Amino acid sequence: MPDETDHAELEEELRRVVAQIDSVPPALLEAAIGAFAWRTIDADLAELVFDSLVDHDRASLVRGTGHGRMLSFRASTLTIDVEVTSQGNSRMLVGQLVPPQSATVDIRQGDRVITIEADELGRFSAGPLQAGPTSLRCRVSGDIVRPSVATDWVAI
Amino acid sequence: MEPDEIAGLVRAAAGGDSAAWTAIVEHFSGLVWAITRGYRLSPPDAADVFQTTWLRLAEHLDRIASPERLGAWLATTTRRESLRIARSSGRTVPTLDTTLVDLGHVDDHSPEQAVLDAELAMLDAERARQLWRSFRELSARCQQLLRVLMASPPPSYAEVGAALGMPVGSIGPSRARCLDRLRQMLAGNVSAQLLCTHRHQKKRLESTRA
Repeated sequence: MPDETDHAELEEELRRVVAQIDSVPPALLEAAIGAFAWRTIDADLAELVFDSLVDHDRASLVRGTGHGRMLSFRASTLTIDVEVTSQGNSRMLVGQLVPPQSATVDIRQGDRVITIEADELGRFSAGPLQAGPTSLRCRVSGDIVRPSVATDWVAI
Repeated sequence: MEPDEIAGLVRAAAGGDSAAWTAIVEHFSGLVWAITRGYRLSPPDAADVFQTTWLRLAEHLDRIASPERLGAWLATTTRRESLRIARSSGRTVPTLDTTLVDLGHVDDHSPEQAVLDAELAMLDAERARQLWRSFRELSARCQQLLRVLMASPPPSYAEVGAALGMPVGSIGPSRARCLDRLRQMLAGNVSAQLLCTHRHQKKRLESTRA
């Protein structure tokens, strides 16, 4: 029977092979280092609390048209519900701020930001957007006292 | 890196120190990458999970309850995002407990093979190729476990457990079993090739005689 020394030797050999052919692509490493610049230090974080893709049990309780992916982000003062529909690599967003209120919404993706307005009922929509890591940042219109709210990043 | 050192980097990065952030990324990127690869995501999906995990960390730097266990936090986040994206792409997700999916194989004309050929030229190429091929023939759960264990620098068992959603106590025995299996596969592949070479030589000999 092979013992631990044999295991360790084989493991070392495999480690060298993996390091040669499957290490982190340099462009991704650069992008990860660049992620630091996207920090929102002046915003409240709205954490991802529901995703219909993975939260099966509750999926039936969530309103929606039934064909999109439902995401819900929650901060202390604001909940942001978003439905994402896909067509190939493009994404459409339809969102709702709760409690309803008008706001400016920055859709942050990679190195670009798309800014849209939520109406007085808190509704907004955007697209087509590219697929990939995305975060929304909401600034309540005319409110300079309250901090903005930024959602967790999620790949859509 | 020591837990205290990691916690120090997290606190420094949370305070705006970009060098500390870079050090964190450089230390843990191998682990995050290995996890996405272990879940066998397509290259664009793996890239999205990788980047999402780091963006998520950037926002959570000052909210992490145990900064000294950052590796486990990253591993858990990467695992969750991998499962999420695998669902959104509508593919079967290999989980550690249930997977029996066909993993495919290295196509001799694939880009992967081309990279393999070029990169391995400096190594003992044939041996390395045999080892990689044998690795790719392992069960999905063994590939996933070994791929994460092969991350550079080597992760702790707590990080591996978080990466794969498995109890830390079962990692050691599973590792031994998977390495045994890899050794058997390797032996089988090597002897199969020798047999093939032998047959080829025999055939040539016969045709020379005829």
